[in-house]
Amino acid sequence: MDSFRQAFDLLFSLDRELLQILGVTMRMSFFSTAISCLIGLPLGALIGTKSFKGKSFLKKLIHTLMGLPPVVAGLFVYTLFTHYGPFGELNLLFTVKIMVIAQVILITPIVTGLSSSFIESTSKPIIETARGLGLNNLKIVGLCLSEGRTSLVSIVLTAFGRSIAEVGAVSIVGGNIQWKTRVMTTAIMLETNKGKFSFALALGIVLLLIAFVVNALASFMVKEAKND
Amino acid sequence: MIEIKSLKKTYRERTVLDIDKLVIDDGTILAVAGANGSGKSTLLRILACQLKATEGEIASPENSLYMPQQAYAFRGNLIDNITLSGADRETAKQLLEKLELSHLSEKKATSLSGGELQRLSLCRVLSRKAELLLLDEPTSACDVRGAELVVNAIKEYREENGCTVVMSTHAPALALKAADRMIILGNGKIEADGTPADIFNKPETDWAKSFTAGWKTDA
Ligand SMILES: Nc1ncnc2c1ncn2[C@@H]1O[C@H](COP(=O)(O)OP(=O)(O)OP(=O)(O)O)[C@@H](O)[C@H]1O
Ligand SMILES: [Mg+2]
Repeated sequence: MDSFRQAFDLLFSLDRELLQILGVTMRMSFFSTAISCLIGLPLGALIGTKSFKGKSFLKKLIHTLMGLPPVVAGLFVYTLFTHYGPFGELNLLFTVKIMVIAQVILITPIVTGLSSSFIESTSKPIIETARGLGLNNLKIVGLCLSEGRTSLVSIVLTAFGRSIAEVGAVSIVGGNIQWKTRVMTTAIMLETNKGKFSFALALGIVLLLIAFVVNALASFMVKEAKND
Repeated sequence: MIEIKSLKKTYRERTVLDIDKLVIDDGTILAVAGANGSGKSTLLRILACQLKATEGEIASPENSLYMPQQAYAFRGNLIDNITLSGADRETAKQLLEKLELSHLSEKKATSLSGGELQRLSLCRVLSRKAELLLLDEPTSACDVRGAELVVNAIKEYREENGCTVVMSTHAPALALKAADRMIILGNGKIEADGTPADIFNKPETDWAKSFTAGWKTDA
């Protein structure tokens, strides 16, 4: 109960540091989600609708990557961007940008895998019907998107949820630097390690609240669209 | 004119369609009958360019319309479901009227019954113009009245557009009423070819006799 009070106090005190951490968290999650979806959704659509050589191998690969442990992804990105690594000169280590890169590596396979199996299972009759009417490809893609928008929104939300909740990769490549790369999850880790459990719990509740608001907004948007 | 020569469709080792020669004159309504799995949908899909034949030559009009066996309900009401083809609302309303769906026109298409949805699917196809109409079992879910509406709509469309129609069916009554010509497929091969009345009344081969024997009892 104490944590709940603390969570609300935290939120409404508009603590400068908390707001900054929230800002970094949202920025990181937004860009990771956006980039993963920009790559993963078209890729998923392609895999879901076309048949080509090596498709089943590609699907297996994607499904494997869907379960990639975040710390492994973090370590991988870290070695690439460390001072002596191939991309060391970019000086990206311990920035929000590299946290986004690590998360894109983690989330893109999830978006691709989910959207390809969704499209494979639902778009067949849509494509068959629409092509039978002689509609052009652009129109057909539009119909598939509009028919599947509820599932598409839930894929995007899954990506966002994954991104906002992730801790392993971002703590390795981001370094949990105060006022710079600290996000909600790494802050919770830190407070827990310091033994300040109720403060950590309060942060966790704030994180949950954000996730809830984002979900509510998304489902509201889908409903809006349904009524037109 | 549609001309098919030594057409074959093979899945792995199994040949599901094997047509030596089939010529369909312009303006004909051709019914394609045959048991489940005999290759009717495969033939229609190939004619609709939805499926590639394994081998063979096909000459058919570019401009065709195809209605799949499984009718699909898009989001939105019945009018939306028709106008997505590019037709205007007026045309959509007329077609709904013709197939006796007007009273449902503002309802969601996903809430329709099987037979209603099938008629809606036909409306959607008929809202466009083409030289070739390919209909996969257009009356399979319809009741007697529904089937009659479908047949009339198809015939009317043919009169207006002078198009050729190829439709598969399990309903002998539909073939008799609507078709000028009928073929029966058995395991992917054409086993009978003629006017529906001839095939129905005086089947030429033993195979056709035993196939149509089933029809007499339920006709
Ligand atoms: N993708 C596929 N892979 C393997 N076999 C297939 C495939 N599609 C169809 N077949 C087979 O081809 C045969 C012909 O199928 P088709 O759908 O043309 O039958 P049909 O005459 O339309 O049957 P129905 O009356 O049940 O609609 C069937 O035995 C089916 O199992
Ligand atoms: Mg069929």
